[in-house]
Amino acid sequence: MADGEPRLVCFSCNFGWGYLADRNALASQVKNWIPVVCTGKIDITHVLDAFKAGADGVLILGCPEGECHFQDGNIECKKKVFLLGKLLEDYGIEKDRLRIELSSDPDGSKLPQIVKQMTESIARLGPVKKVEAPSKVA
Amino acid sequence: MWKTDSSGASRTEDAVMQFLPPCQIRCPINEDIQRTNVLMSLLPEDPGQAKDGIIQIGDYLYEKNPFFTVCGYICGLCENDCNYKTRGGAIKRRLLKRFLSDTYTPYLSQKKPLEVTKDKGKVAVIGGGPGGLMCAYELSRRGYKATVFDSNEKLGGAVRYIPEYRLPEDVMDAVVDNLVRIVGIEVKLNAKVGEGGLTLQKLRDEGYKAFFVATGTPYARPLTFGTEKVEGQDLDGVMYGLKLLWDANRGEVPSDLYKGKDVVVIGGGNVAFDVARTARRLGGDVTVVALEVMDKASKDALPADVEELEGAREEGIRIIPSRGVRRISKANGKLNLDCPLCTSVFDEKGFNPQFECADCIPLDADVVLVTIGQMGDRAFLQNEGLLNDAGRLQADPVDLQGRVPDVFIGGDVRRIGFLADAMHEGVEAAESIDRYLSGIDLKSGRAREYGPYDAPYRSSYKEEPKHKWVPADQRLNFNMFEQGLTLQEAIEEARRCITCGPCISCKACVSVGIQEELTPAQVDEDLCCGCKMCVYVCNYDAAGLKEVEGKIVSFTDELKCKSCGMCVAACPSGARSLAGDRTPARIEAVYGALR
Repeated sequence: MADGEPRLVCFSCNFGWGYLADRNALASQVKNWIPVVCTGKIDITHVLDAFKAGADGVLILGCPEGECHFQDGNIECKKKVFLLGKLLEDYGIEKDRLRIELSSDPDGSKLPQIVKQMTESIARLGPVKKVEAPSKVA
Repeated sequence: MWKTDSSGASRTEDAVMQFLPPCQIRCPINEDIQRTNVLMSLLPEDPGQAKDGIIQIGDYLYEKNPFFTVCGYICGLCENDCNYKTRGGAIKRRLLKRFLSDTYTPYLSQKKPLEVTKDKGKVAVIGGGPGGLMCAYELSRRGYKATVFDSNEKLGGAVRYIPEYRLPEDVMDAVVDNLVRIVGIEVKLNAKVGEGGLTLQKLRDEGYKAFFVATGTPYARPLTFGTEKVEGQDLDGVMYGLKLLWDANRGEVPSDLYKGKDVVVIGGGNVAFDVARTARRLGGDVTVVALEVMDKASKDALPADVEELEGAREEGIRIIPSRGVRRISKANGKLNLDCPLCTSVFDEKGFNPQFECADCIPLDADVVLVTIGQMGDRAFLQNEGLLNDAGRLQADPVDLQGRVPDVFIGGDVRRIGFLADAMHEGVEAAESIDRYLSGIDLKSGRAREYGPYDAPYRSSYKEEPKHKWVPADQRLNFNMFEQGLTLQEAIEEARRCITCGPCISCKACVSVGIQEELTPAQVDEDLCCGCKMCVYVCNYDAAGLKEVEGKIVSFTDELKCKSCGMCVAACPSGARSLAGDRTPARIEAVYGALR
């Protein structure tokens, strides 16, 4: 962030988000967009690396519960986000900087809006504080 | 709508054992159920936008199954083996195809004809039912000039007996008329081979090089008790149920034909219930008398489908199980039936009904409809030398070749089965005829073995949608009583499919662009610590453990792996990756730009 808009990294699952859209058009509307075949594929290191690289927030868009094409990928991701949130807090990174939304958006019309909303709420948090040693053991 | 590539995407190599989802194994023509279920689940929710996609899916199904629209009304064999059956209810594949039919049937008249050079010679198909038509279709696609000879004034075979409240006639008309046009099949109607000097030899003299006999079972089986034909079948008011079905479909019966009449239907199969429910719709007070028992778990269970029994009961039809009919007589203007108790239907000898004649009940009726089975035209088969010395029809179970080498036989005439069974045999016969006329061995590589997959694990399953039937009191007409699925319901139901089968038999995600290519999981055996996290996390049972030089490491069963990446994310040692996956590069590109 520093000066200007907060930088959000957005992962979205291909079976639930934008599969009917023109992917190139969507890519031009959403910066730092990483489509994946399933949110279950998202590793905790992907999230941590995003913050390390300078992202101000990470948004994960998966399928509604019970709708995952790969059975439980979205639930696995949701679990990771919950635990990661606690971990990030211990390093002084507000857990609201990491968000998972489980919904469906076949034509990709909601995607840019959700990114915009989260970008605005991240802006209110300001830039990420320089990472320090944890104040307590998790 | 999609840039799908349907050419060979799901055509697998001829392997000794082919792994498929159980639905596709149960389907006699191994339709690409999983692939098309996934495609349907990805349709847009707006009907106008969905139309292109529906036609695309229909075109894909049509290649292997030009009758798929009809299947949407009268098949659903796959549902019996669906893994979801024991987890909330089988996927309603039949209704999904009926949904496609709503758009595809009107489109059929616009479907472009196939351009094939027909230079491989003439083949005669005897019988224009689904078996014969599929054979003619396959042969036409391979470049043969196929001529279908049918004894009726309309093509369609046994499907034409199915009542309009189960299959509207225009669906079958559209299939048959357009199939003939699209692949250029020559049709001779009212042409009964075996009659009026029309023999196979005459056709050979006219240049036909091979034959497929698919004459079906158009004759009703007369009622017998033990080995004796039951007395009274020629009395006024006693008729074969098959004739009623035929006449009703031709519109040749008044809608109040049986008003105020007691109708007894003898028989317990699906056809008997078609007859019973037709008679009910013609105003009759209907009772079904069958040898079998109501308990579906018994060896002697009524063969009719559960839905038929439920529908019949709702419509006020009475069912009397465990009764045979040993005599029909007439007294005081009514027909009387003697019905002894049937104590057993099947035993180690097969169909061998046993009766307790001391326990005999009388039944009165104005009309008796005998519907206990059907037979083929034996005279024709005998005259053509197709029966063996024991008087049985001879046809090789693998290549369908008959006792006469240029004659191949399939469908109900060979062995009574479903629509899709006849279609399968039509396709196999076409393959056999092609090989026969090309001088290739008929049998090599024909016997396929299939291995089913179990359902993947998931934490929650969904109940099947309830069937939507018009209330019973509004059903006494020949309109469809079952309502089909809306677009929204079809997308939801198709989404419920848990894609049990291997990726190589599907690849729907690749053809639609959701996945760039299949990227099965790989294991770096040096990094793997044997912790089993991958085994725990994989819903598809694709991760396992093995021993390599004294070390326990994990491996991937590539036939089961779905390239989802969950095991990669779960691995604490970073030992797993997806072969050819471009996501890590994409991530690095994005993070690189951030830094």
